Amino acid sequence: MLDLFTYDFMQRSLLAAAMVGGLCSVIGVFVVLRGLAFVGAGTAHAAFAGVALGYLMGWPPLLLAIIFGLGTVWITGWVEEKGRMKLDVSIGILYTTTMALAILFIGLMKTYNAEVYGYLFGSVLSVTNEELRTIGGLSILVLGLILLFSKELYFIAFDQEMAEASGVPARKIFFLLLTLVALTVVISLKTVGAILVFAMILIPASTAYQLTHSLRTLTIYSVLIGISTSVSGVLISAVWDIPSGPAIVLLATSIFFLAILFSPKRERRLAPAA
Amino acid sequence: MSESANPIIQFDHATFGFPGVVALQDISLSIGTGEFVGVIGPNGSGKTTLCRAVLGLMAPLSGHLRIFDCACGELRCHHRAQIGYLPQKGVVDRNFPVTVLETVMMGRYGTLGLFKRTTKKDQAIALDALAHVGMDAHRDTALGHLSGGQQQRVFIARALAQQPKVLLLDEPTTGLDITTQHNVIELVAHLHKELGLTVLLITHDINMIRSHVDRLVLLKTRLFAAGPPVEVLKPDILRQVYGKELVITERDLVIVEDYHHHH
Repeated sequence: MLDLFTYDFMQRSLLAAAMVGGLCSVIGVFVVLRGLAFVGAGTAHAAFAGVALGYLMGWPPLLLAIIFGLGTVWITGWVEEKGRMKLDVSIGILYTTTMALAILFIGLMKTYNAEVYGYLFGSVLSVTNEELRTIGGLSILVLGLILLFSKELYFIAFDQEMAEASGVPARKIFFLLLTLVALTVVISLKTVGAILVFAMILIPASTAYQLTHSLRTLTIYSVLIGISTSVSGVLISAVWDIPSGPAIVLLATSIFFLAILFSPKRERRLAPAA
Repeated sequence: MSESANPIIQFDHATFGFPGVVALQDISLSIGTGEFVGVIGPNGSGKTTLCRAVLGLMAPLSGHLRIFDCACGELRCHHRAQIGYLPQKGVVDRNFPVTVLETVMMGRYGTLGLFKRTTKKDQAIALDALAHVGMDAHRDTALGHLSGGQQQRVFIARALAQQPKVLLLDEPTTGLDITTQHNVIELVAHLHKELGLTVLLITHDINMIRSHVDRLVLLKTRLFAAGPPVEVLKPDILRQVYGKELVITERDLVIVEDYHHHH
């Protein structure tokens, strides 16, 4: 198994998986705490519609993925802020609309395009050096912004109105969070695919949620779980010759259920009330 | 009657609401530095609107509101940080992963501003705030594991960690048992005296606060009465606002709404 590490493609895949796993698990903390889980799913499908349009028109797919992803989260955030509609309803509408667009664009291509399907299901083993650089650059940007605004992001995840009232520019920080979610989704698209990126964002943070009562510890656990399951998932996929996306997600899901079983919070729930 | 020397918050014929819905009409009221003001009124009388207005979250539709001598639109984040706010008690998810100290530290975030990290000094301020509410022994406890009264103390500590000039409390005793209600109000009165804070306390429980406040403000969409408790809590004034729901007992207790269920 060790000679696997000597292959260039394997090194690239492991690096890409570690970066995407780490990034998704950090942004996932805020997504889970702020209750934006569905936004992640909606954005992923919108970004995929962007990719499909890119291939149809011969435009850069990643750029269109960013435009579609950002457009979706900004419209969603704006609608929620205006109080016109609940967040899950507006994202539900945009989710299905962008998916319909994606199917339309793929239909208009007339011929089968394997690369487009790569973005839907993920193909970490075929990541190129250039894609690795893009993933690296965007990851540094997103993580840097999270680090820079971490205290505000934590506060709005806990209580946005309270944050606004105590002098945090909560609205702007909320839009920043939505933007970072969209960028994370786009960065991860090639590696894990539009369908599974949502799981990469949600599962490590939700697993960590079972294990701690501290925000700081939650973030550390989430990153450790995110990186280790991504890297292990890629190795499992290479050794057993199974698709990498499902390997990562199913491994993460198993750990999630183990965490629920052995959660200290669960013991507390089962204990008689003091 | 509603004038005050050295005003920190000043309403001048201010009307608040949404297009087509008036929540508070023609309010003229000034709240002085260091005053302890209780805001009372029936459900839907505009108490929470008043609260949102003072927080700078709602500009007047007409008239003026000045907070720290700024109009609502001029209110910046650092002004907001000078108002320590305790919202109506929401349900804290028992599993929400935040410790008592992490919760109180959030009170420093608005004061610090963007791009600045918390330091040992901020932690010392947060611990001091916890000591003021008697919760310093619980600094590492999960917030969700505390009782309702303890959680309120922690949220008051978070407001104090902002080192505010004004403490704004929206129904801080709702959902607490009677002993805990007393303890919370005693704590607020103590903080008012000890730290010289201007306190604006919104409540349904008139009896609980009447002996502590300098002034009571009675709302029913309009400013119905404002002044020392003895001037406001007159049977005829209260009956006009609360109608049949109100009973005043021989011991001068004001009982609203659920009196009949118990007698």
